[in-house]
Amino acid sequence: MLRKASFILGNQVRLNAVSLCRPFASAPGAAGKQEKWDLYAGVLVERLPIVSKELNALEKDFQEYLWRVEFEKSLKSDSEIQHERDLKQAELLKKGQIDLDEAASKQTAQDLKDAYTEELNKFEKAPRTTADDKTNNVLSTNRCLDDKLYLLVEQAVGSKKHFLLPQGPRLEGETMRQAAERIVREKCGEQLDLLFYGNAPCGFYKYKYPAAVRDQSVGAKVFFFRASLKNGNVDKNISKNFAWMQKDALGSKLSNERYVESVQKFLV
Amino acid sequence: MSLLKAFSRLTLQSSKYLAQPSAWLHTSPVLCAEPLKKKKKLDPQIIKQREDRRKKKLEKQIRRLEKNARQLKPIEELEVPLTLIDEQKQRTRTLPPLSEAEVERRIQLNKQWSRYKHEQKMQEYQIMDRLMQSQRKALEELRLESEELYQEAIQPDMSLLPVKIKGPVATPPIPNYVSPDGEYILESKKWDI
Repeated sequence: MLRKASFILGNQVRLNAVSLCRPFASAPGAAGKQEKWDLYAGVLVERLPIVSKELNALEKDFQEYLWRVEFEKSLKSDSEIQHERDLKQAELLKKGQIDLDEAASKQTAQDLKDAYTEELNKFEKAPRTTADDKTNNVLSTNRCLDDKLYLLVEQAVGSKKHFLLPQGPRLEGETMRQAAERIVREKCGEQLDLLFYGNAPCGFYKYKYPAAVRDQSVGAKVFFFRASLKNGNVDKNISKNFAWMQKDALGSKLSNERYVESVQKFLV
Repeated sequence: MSLLKAFSRLTLQSSKYLAQPSAWLHTSPVLCAEPLKKKKKLDPQIIKQREDRRKKKLEKQIRRLEKNARQLKPIEELEVPLTLIDEQKQRTRTLPPLSEAEVERRIQLNKQWSRYKHEQKMQEYQIMDRLMQSQRKALEELRLESEELYQEAIQPDMSLLPVKIKGPVATPPIPNYVSPDGEYILESKKWDI
């Protein structure tokens, strides 16, 4: 039942896609259905966030509240009981009812607490912002730790060079996924260790070649695959110009507005 | 035959049967099996008793299995320590009751929070919708180009599982950090099912 429903839905989308394509197809000079498109595979490489996001005001308030409720509902811990006992003993000591030596030799709960706090304060946490954040080094994956970063690589399209998601043409006999994996290796080197999310493309973009070079095929259809970075970085000997960008900053590097729009569609 | 004749001469009564030896000597085929033993007949009451015993044994086994099935693995962390139950009076906190303003603030905060979470969830659904739409579009376009490539693309990726992803943490890991307390080793009891 479910499968059938999705099939129908798929068909509708397909119809929509066909009707959307029609204005392109009926452009002057095109040979209707017979026009040939080059198939390209592209890869969206994302570096997942390493640290959690900073809490906003409401989240902070709510967290405080939850902690407070938890405290109110809790029973006293051993160390709190011990602390109370210590206080009582100190009082007795003041009045001179117990022996001084016996009481003074013991370690009180407060002493322990102070020692623990001191140890905690000595521990240095790694900072949430890195040196690459300060210098805004877009070549490094060690920045914007609380956000996703996407990889852009400068590539030649026609005669010009553009920042794009790594992309390249499919070779004969390859599936799109295999093409995508090969292209990433070619453009970014072997050190980039990626985890591909499945065999299906997650996004799509097509563009037409300029009329002068439109001899065999009309344009290119790019199928994007999603992958996350496990380890490594782009090999600088292979691609000199690349950038790890946040979602909001992608627009500043990408030149074509329509491309940005297509890419934004499948960004989380 | 001559032997028989010799014997017949010895006997006083000359029998005519002995004189016809072929009628007396029979050979049977070689038997390669023992004749069947006669079945021992048992008292029907004993048989019944035996069956009953077997039945009871099985029933007992079943009962024991069922009993064990109901026994669940204990979760030690959820068991309240006995000292806490004994010293509950000493350990309960005596806090001043909440002021009315505080109660009101908490109610408002709860409401605000659920509204905030609802909005967040709706945004997430929208994002998921957008992503699925994008993928559907890509697959449809691929199908228009080539049915084979489309079929390849919709195959499940078996190499993806099992996948291991570490979630975001509060502060980034310190490179080359050596824990002063040593490594953590899980010591909890293993329960076989």
